Amino acid sequence: MKRLLGVALGVLTAIGGFVDIGDLVTNAVVGSRFGLSLVWVVGVGVLGICLFANMSGRVAAASGRATFEVIRERLGPRAGLANLSASFLINLMTVTAEIGGVALALQLASSVHYLLWIPVAALAVWLVVWRVKFSSMENVTGLLGLTLIVFAVALFLLQPDWGNLAGQALAPAVPAEETVSTYWYYAIALFGAAMTPYEVFFFSSGAVEEGWSIKDLVQSRINVLVGFPLGGLLSVAIAGCAAVVLLPAGIAVTSLSQVILPVAEGAGKVGLAFVLVGVVAATFGAALETTLSSGYTLAQFFGWSWGKFRRPAQAARFHLAMIICLFIGLAVLATGVDPVLVTEYSVVFSAIALPLTYLPILIVANDPQYMGQHVNGRPVNVLAMVYLVIILAASLAAIPLMVVTGAGA
Amino acid sequence: MTAHRLLAPPPPVAGRILDAQLHLLDRQVLDHDGVPVTTVDDLEVSGPALDTELEPGAAAPVLSALLTGPVLGTRIFGGRPPASRLVRIPWEDVAEVGVVLKLGVSGENLDAGWVERWIRDRIIARIPGGRHDPR
Amino acid sequence: MILGDLLGVDVYNDDGTRLGRVADARFVVDGAPRQLLAEARLLGLVVSPHSASSFLGYERTGLQQPWPLPSLLRWRHRGSFLVLWEDIAMIGAKSVRLREGYTAYSPALDSSGP
Repeated sequence: MKRLLGVALGVLTAIGGFVDIGDLVTNAVVGSRFGLSLVWVVGVGVLGICLFANMSGRVAAASGRATFEVIRERLGPRAGLANLSASFLINLMTVTAEIGGVALALQLASSVHYLLWIPVAALAVWLVVWRVKFSSMENVTGLLGLTLIVFAVALFLLQPDWGNLAGQALAPAVPAEETVSTYWYYAIALFGAAMTPYEVFFFSSGAVEEGWSIKDLVQSRINVLVGFPLGGLLSVAIAGCAAVVLLPAGIAVTSLSQVILPVAEGAGKVGLAFVLVGVVAATFGAALETTLSSGYTLAQFFGWSWGKFRRPAQAARFHLAMIICLFIGLAVLATGVDPVLVTEYSVVFSAIALPLTYLPILIVANDPQYMGQHVNGRPVNVLAMVYLVIILAASLAAIPLMVVTGAGA
Repeated sequence: MTAHRLLAPPPPVAGRILDAQLHLLDRQVLDHDGVPVTTVDDLEVSGPALDTELEPGAAAPVLSALLTGPVLGTRIFGGRPPASRLVRIPWEDVAEVGVVLKLGVSGENLDAGWVERWIRDRIIARIPGGRHDPR
Repeated sequence: MILGDLLGVDVYNDDGTRLGRVADARFVVDGAPRQLLAEARLLGLVVSPHSASSFLGYERTGLQQPWPLPSLLRWRHRGSFLVLWEDIAMIGAKSVRLREGYTAYSPALDSSGP
């Protein structure tokens, strides 16, 4: 019974923890402009993150090594540093976007301007990182994030034309008022949002934090293989709500209030209350994950002592690095830059940095020196190679498409 | 791979083989309590004198220390830090080489840990809760 | 000497023909015993004619997965060989020179290695 509860808790946390500000904004933007014609990308992205998160967790459980240690060891200092710079910059953008997201959601709930909420949000993030136990942090934000299911509820209450929605999803076509290049630009953005590298940094480091061994792998595999796809369904529900309410009204999403507008319309004030809790929990949880990830990547590249399982004084540089990151995020937000805009760029940049992160994981997952008998099976390798090609294509196409489309305008 | 097969294997040796790139460089270093100390940023070898003819039968150089600190920057960008800035972990302190390098000594007394200790004592430990055990 | 300075340096034979670059340095832990590990003595250098960059761990092991990465990376490392310390005539800041009649050995490692 206890074991079953553990599995249930893990799955629920994975669902709630899957969605972050990147998924919220990108899915809503895409839904409001392209309907469900890009849903297939969410499917591709979710399968990819399942594959590589699972792999990085297995490497961590088998060898005790987290992802960025592996990246440095395999790629060497030069390519490793290039990856560190890119990943760290994206991470910083994402930290900024998530804290901005928390503040925006709190503004919607309180009518107090979001700039006043930003220091509160950042301080809260730091306090949790400084003080709260890793597993409690994961479980609380994950479970509260589950309230985002209200997007799915709202979609049903809106009583859409299901045949039409299914048609958009199953026979994707570029809407008449959009160009082919913007369609593909947003395909890459959605892919980047689903496969953001910080998720594997966090996942593998979390495995070390919680001291996983090979025995825990079954549990982790269930969490990933059940939780992430259900989280992906939440993303689709967000896009669906936008497609049903905003697309016909001709509203292209540019703010967080527009993201949650369909829920208010479909599920009323109660729905609105739920969605606000969900957005705060999801963005706050992701702010924690990205803040920790910036500490993890730096510490693992340079070989510093790291981890929330240690006293802060026993991982001094790790904690100092995270404090500095939070201050940088605060400084960026204080300029008044739109967090939604930061989010839109961060997901595309994520797509660019993907290959350098996923290639070393794949290589090490095949190395018996690290893995013993738990090396990848052949089907996993074939699928992973297919994904590397997709990832590489997305990475190479991202910048040209960004230029051609004027960042999706 | 085909070229490898044409060449004879080297004469067998008794000890364990370590290739610098493959087994040592860029690996994590842990102290005897399992606490990360640093990464192997470079290696120091005793001799030989550069640009001088080697006598046949001259004794082979040995690994004298793991290096860390500014040497990482010069390994990436080129150049060379002054010898006084090299942070050494003597090879004598290395207890085990595997996926990580384990030291047989505490990291607390190593030169390689001074930045960590400085940040700990001057900043992190002074923030309330800095010594709180999260478990 | 700092090992990082040696990696990537050009390697010549005794009549000045360029053979490639230093791809790795091989040590053997069989020197004078110490408290923990014995001394690690330089056994030789791995010379690669085409590229001296790291090959992600595939260069000298029998690892075959995931296709096609190992084959691609080994192809870039084709023709590499191990030359023993006894066959090295001079190590310089810019070049390494081998002795006349040096022997090129297979750089392959026993796949059961560390």
